[in-house]
Amino acid sequence: MKTVREIGDSFDAIIKDRDIQKYTYTLSTSEKQELNLEDGTFKLMRTVFDQNGSVRVFRDGKTGSASGNDISEEGLNKLLTESIAAAESATEDPCHDIAPDQGKDVFRQGVDKPDIDRFIERVQELLDLMDKDYPKIKILGGVASIDRWNWFSRNSNGTEFEGIGGQYGFSLEISASEGDKTTGLDYVYFSTADLDKPFIEMADVKEHLQAVSDSIYPESVEGKFEGKVIMTPSCAENFLYMTIGNYISDRVIIDGTSQWLDKVGEKVADESLSVALRPFDERIVMGERGTQDGYRTEEVQVLEKGVLKTHLLSLYAANKTGRPVTKNTGHDLVVEPGDKSLEEMIASVDKGILMGGFSGGQPGTNGDFSGVAKNSFLIEKGKIRCALSETMVNGNLGDILNHICGISKEQCLSGSSVVPYIAVDGVIISGK
Amino acid sequence: MLQDIIGSKTVLFADGVQTVLRAHENRNRNVAILKGNLVNNSRSESRGINARVNRNGIFGFASIADYTPEAAEKVIKAATENAEFLSRHSSRSIALPASVCSGSVALNRDIVDVEQKRIIELCRQFDDYIANKYPDLSSRIISYAEDSQDRIIYSSDAASGHLVTPRCHVYIVMTAETAEGTPVEIFKAIGGFGSFEDHFSDPEKYYPDIDKLYKQVMDKKEGIYPEAGEKTVILGGLMGGMLAHEAVGHTVEADLVRGGSVAGPNLNKRVASELVTMVDFAHSYNGGLAPLPVYLDDEGIVAEDVTLIKDGILVGYMNDRESAEEYGMKPAGNARGWTFRDEPIIRMRNTCILPGKNTVEELIASVEDGYYLIQSGNGQADLTGEFMFGVTCGYEIKNGKLGRALLDTTVTGVAFDMLKTVDMVSDEVTWTSSGFCGKKQPMAVGMGGPHIRCRITVGGR
Repeated sequence: MKTVREIGDSFDAIIKDRDIQKYTYTLSTSEKQELNLEDGTFKLMRTVFDQNGSVRVFRDGKTGSASGNDISEEGLNKLLTESIAAAESATEDPCHDIAPDQGKDVFRQGVDKPDIDRFIERVQELLDLMDKDYPKIKILGGVASIDRWNWFSRNSNGTEFEGIGGQYGFSLEISASEGDKTTGLDYVYFSTADLDKPFIEMADVKEHLQAVSDSIYPESVEGKFEGKVIMTPSCAENFLYMTIGNYISDRVIIDGTSQWLDKVGEKVADESLSVALRPFDERIVMGERGTQDGYRTEEVQVLEKGVLKTHLLSLYAANKTGRPVTKNTGHDLVVEPGDKSLEEMIASVDKGILMGGFSGGQPGTNGDFSGVAKNSFLIEKGKIRCALSETMVNGNLGDILNHICGISKEQCLSGSSVVPYIAVDGVIISGK
Repeated sequence: MLQDIIGSKTVLFADGVQTVLRAHENRNRNVAILKGNLVNNSRSESRGINARVNRNGIFGFASIADYTPEAAEKVIKAATENAEFLSRHSSRSIALPASVCSGSVALNRDIVDVEQKRIIELCRQFDDYIANKYPDLSSRIISYAEDSQDRIIYSSDAASGHLVTPRCHVYIVMTAETAEGTPVEIFKAIGGFGSFEDHFSDPEKYYPDIDKLYKQVMDKKEGIYPEAGEKTVILGGLMGGMLAHEAVGHTVEADLVRGGSVAGPNLNKRVASELVTMVDFAHSYNGGLAPLPVYLDDEGIVAEDVTLIKDGILVGYMNDRESAEEYGMKPAGNARGWTFRDEPIIRMRNTCILPGKNTVEELIASVEDGYYLIQSGNGQADLTGEFMFGVTCGYEIKNGKLGRALLDTTVTGVAFDMLKTVDMVSDEVTWTSSGFCGKKQPMAVGMGGPHIRCRITVGGR
């Protein structure tokens, strides 16, 4: 069987035959071994042998893309035909482009030779521990997967990147019950390149198990009040990605509707907040190495002490708006820790909530959010009083970042992000 | 269209296990124009073969991104080996479900491809219409998405068949600015089951929809935040569909019932007012096609309608073969996978609350102080029945008349509490088929509902 690099060499010959001068393509093969859990035991083992090819061609200032999982010679020819037809149908737009020559490189990441037996032992160890220490927890679903892949990309400017890697991934979908009483769902996920630590110590697994166990008898808050919200790391990550999408991504910068359109270099958040994209951080398992535009990925400081350092723009958006391109597609979030413990943060809240999840409508471009606080607890006079149900939170993404009142020392390392607890003030919290 | 190259491989199905072999192709066509700029112009196809083997409740699944008879042989072998391997690590042991159907379901229709040029021209036509007629909008997006599926299914002890599900939509997003310079958005999806020409041979017929959308975004830029708290609301038909899918549908999927959903202890009990009857339709509704017809599922079960709530009483769940056996119900074709990579899991098809007797006008006129909620952007539900929908288009109702538009908000409630407050149901149903449901894998689903008067908790300032 040919490697993706060898298939790439064949693809080059096909591209040359079709007289295409400007192009970029990526070829990949992957293998997934996945164990699915239900009700505390293994139910399904799934193997996926996959492959994919994607190509983008440029003709007379026009561009089109095609992708598919047939990377035989016939399949690649078809991809080219489709992408050429798409390009010829497009309108001319010189802003579409690919990165200049970035050289050649091979990136090896993550686990090279996964140990499935040890992996199953680690999963079983967690299941046994949950049986013993968290007897109210019920596993609705769980996925333990070993993923390995090899990708190869090349473009007409001379860049040639290859990636070889693998990782272990583990996720749980859990609830807790006692008699007829059941909690809502909660989710926990992490990825790792090694199996050195028991899974109970990974990411915030322990915190999720405890929180769900403590949520069987929730109450709704009375009435409406403006209060503090301490977001758990996974909840804070969700809010930060919503902020990135709403305020500094391609769409809102191209069409000019971003609330942070002309705010680069200005303070847009509390000075305690520093946010970066760090694909080379050792705590990130499979950080990005090449961007979708063909750039070598770089680390990007998004917010530094509350000051917006950059928008996150693709090459197209950068050319379209005359702003700098971001050599990072926007993953691998790392948020700097604060100087308080979670315990101290809770103790400082007179009335508010500890919010484990947000179930809400997608915030509009203006950043207004409205939704249900999930997996959450009421805090009164510095202490957690009860689990919550039917409790809504309303606010604005930009506003709450200016009202940060605490960031924890503790950070959650999920393998794809490093995020602390973040407390914000000025959120409208309402019950029935 | 897939050609059948896997049928001859059923001779490799092992005795003493249940095996399903599936060939599966997904086809996508995408174009997006953002404020006049062509920002997406792509086509993709993926095809492959998978097999699933059930060995006494332990499942082996394998898939390959290859469409050859040899690939079919490999996945049957690998799935069988996976089931054997896992049986050494699992305490599960469940008798195989009884065989409930057989035979073959005939190909239902064709998928007709369209040149990318035609798609771009369509999007340009909509974009030009909006740009020329409504220059005061601050932004607009025209986005075309086709996501069609083609499947061939062979099972060892159920039915077989060849099914296609073509689906294409155009999504139109309009953005306007308030007097303070804050953007507000509104969107609409047009299209549905079928290929490009089925929906877009005459684009001008959608101009009135576009004009209506413009009016709504202009209303919204003058909009207000709703008052937070429990309110009397009229849910429009699209919201009624979201209610059927999110608030109730997920809680009555048997895998979630097994996981502790609120529907478990409520079977054969009152969970809604007697005005509420809810059905998950397989392929037909009211003498015509349901929005996304399903004739056969990925376990080889011939699809039938499932009544979930009848006159307010919870009477059924949606099942796969194993859960149907567990709950003493009949499997009705709810087990589906999204791509060749995916094992079938319990999914909704066309979930709908049935119409009642009142007119929409009567419902609105009946509300002294409340809200009319028309369009939802997304929704989620929980095991407890606690749900939320994002509301992207709505109006206040004062003394039976529509008032000011609403800014984006979210509504929430607990399904089986909230459904008991339903006291008026309109005599028509609005369907949508543009959505995706997320549950390990995405899935195209249809949902529909009438206008409903009920009490619901509204988020606001």
